Amino acid sequence: MEKTRLLRLVELAFPGFVVGLIAGAVAGGLAGFVGQPAGWALVSMLTLGIPLGLFGAGFGLLVAFRKVRLGGFAPVALFWLAGFPISRLLHEVGTFWILGGEPRLPPDLLGFIAYQGIVSAGFAIGFLWLHERIAPRWWRRMAPHNPEAARIYAAYAEHAKQIYDMRQARRASRAAARAKAAQR
Amino acid sequence: MVDSSKVPVSGTTADTDHAERVWRAGRLDPMPIRKLPDAPPAIHLLGPTVFLVALGVGMGESYMWPRLVLVFGPEIRWLFLIGVTLQAVVMLEMARYAMATGESIFTGAARVFKPLMWFFFAVAILVYIWPGHLSAGAAAFEEITGIPWVVTACVGLVLVGVVFSLAKVIYSLLENVLSLLIGVLVVGTAVIASLVGSWSDLSSTITGMFAFGYFPSDAMSSAWFPIVVGSIAFAGPSGMQQMWYTLHLRDSGAGMGAHVPKIRGLRHASEQEEMPNRGFMFDTDDPAEMKKWKGWRRWVTFDALLLFWGITMLVTISFTVLAQAAARENPNVATLIEGGDRDAALGAMSDAFASAGGSILGGLFFGFIALIGLNATLGLFDSFSRGQADMTYFFVKGAKRFKISHLYAFFLWGVILFGILILLFGPADGPSGVLDILAFLSTFAMGAYCVVLLLVNNRMLPKPIRPKWWANLIIGFGAVFYLGMLFYSLIRFGVVVS
Repeated sequence: MEKTRLLRLVELAFPGFVVGLIAGAVAGGLAGFVGQPAGWALVSMLTLGIPLGLFGAGFGLLVAFRKVRLGGFAPVALFWLAGFPISRLLHEVGTFWILGGEPRLPPDLLGFIAYQGIVSAGFAIGFLWLHERIAPRWWRRMAPHNPEAARIYAAYAEHAKQIYDMRQARRASRAAARAKAAQR
Repeated sequence: MVDSSKVPVSGTTADTDHAERVWRAGRLDPMPIRKLPDAPPAIHLLGPTVFLVALGVGMGESYMWPRLVLVFGPEIRWLFLIGVTLQAVVMLEMARYAMATGESIFTGAARVFKPLMWFFFAVAILVYIWPGHLSAGAAAFEEITGIPWVVTACVGLVLVGVVFSLAKVIYSLLENVLSLLIGVLVVGTAVIASLVGSWSDLSSTITGMFAFGYFPSDAMSSAWFPIVVGSIAFAGPSGMQQMWYTLHLRDSGAGMGAHVPKIRGLRHASEQEEMPNRGFMFDTDDPAEMKKWKGWRRWVTFDALLLFWGITMLVTISFTVLAQAAARENPNVATLIEGGDRDAALGAMSDAFASAGGSILGGLFFGFIALIGLNATLGLFDSFSRGQADMTYFFVKGAKRFKISHLYAFFLWGVILFGILILLFGPADGPSGVLDILAFLSTFAMGAYCVVLLLVNNRMLPKPIRPKWWANLIIGFGAVFYLGMLFYSLIRFGVVVS
């Protein structure tokens, strides 16, 4: 029972995790592309990609359980204001630790955190953008066996239905206009 | 010119036998009154601004402005702030006409005075037929993969043509592709900036944006003034990109665009619905309709502020931070960037990142330049073909024998084949003798569309939805700004913008 519950949570969080991981892994992936040592690429990919992925997963869960407004920018910006600097700090410390043998903090820690905090706003826009495009489609696939996924997908579907109804209304009005023109 | 003072009040004219209510604007067919659809209920439906972002975030943001910052210091960025903010207002005003009528701004121009539209038709062909814009992205791709850039560019051109020809509805396909690419671009740019930049780079870049009035004497020289003017004009969407945005708005079904069919790919041309001869207008005397109109204005304002203004700012700030970091790492970068050899400068920046954070960062940098190039190319080819097809279909006699999808495909493949021929045998940017003329036309078109916007929005739209005085003031300032700077540069220094 517990296992099933955990699996469902993982399914809900998966899109956010992927978006976060992709953002971190872009660096590592390109390193492999330009012929860098696989070890270097992998370390960078993991030390940045995994924290960003985990935070992304956390945000996905917040959305899935309707703790934040669908598609709103302010919640995601606040979330990453904390999440992004922590991820980057873990990345710096982790990379030094694995490649240099001992953990080391960035020289000007406060300046580092403040800078990462500001950059996080940009990251948040991109994260929201990608998450909104990927997550609803994924939750739809999970909906048949995952009630929470079905619920959050239903919320998106309700929204999409409003859009669909609008389109139908437009089509109908176009058809009516054509019929009217044909009568004349 | 038309005398729009004789235009009747919206929705009150019964001028046909069947007493259909219409809105008369200019000399073209009157627009029938139809219902305005409801505005999207939530903001997370991203609109066609994605096209403007894809087109606008180009070399201006990733190269020209970082270059000016290295030469004149971060304080010069206040001019960028003015340039992008002006473009955001232009975008909102372009959207006003397109959403109120479902017509492109080209048709709006033709309603005022047809030769205005033909001017833009000619400028588009003269300026945008050259495939030079492909070179930066393809050259960056060559740096990463070693594949010669001409090969990448030619393959890319054919690929773009095939994809757009096979697509059922071109707009939907392109919006999805560009959205993903831009999402990755934004997330990736933020990550790179966080890796190589520092607090002081960022704070100087941001505070520099508010150093209003800063203009060093060197910037007034014949060498730099045209570059500064060109960079302001190229902050955000440049040339005719804002005008094409009205076509994307229409195809996305925004506002009265909902009453106009979408353009289909060549393979699905048989399913193309017939395009109506003119746009539509809603009843601006009906409070319920005006409420919906306000909803649409909110929707497009969100697009303009967060997506267009925000992302353009973010990418430029990031790239400026990158250039500063690169110049600190390797003083040679500053010399090369100031020297003006774009490829050498981008290469040197990549090298500087490689030495700072391993060649991973060098490759990453080129990866993003290639991505920006790809976005711009996809957007540009679609927009050019869309704009020319629109003008041809509605204003060339006999063109209605074809479907608009056929005309779109004709212009798309025309520009692709011409592009391949030029890439293989000719000068990619255009013959060197006419380069100055092309640069002139591109900036002149921006001043001209500000004038057209003022005329179209204030004379062709019903009073209740005309722009407010301050919007007119800003657009008027835009016209004086673009045209004034252009002619000042020409007369004082004998050089057009560069």
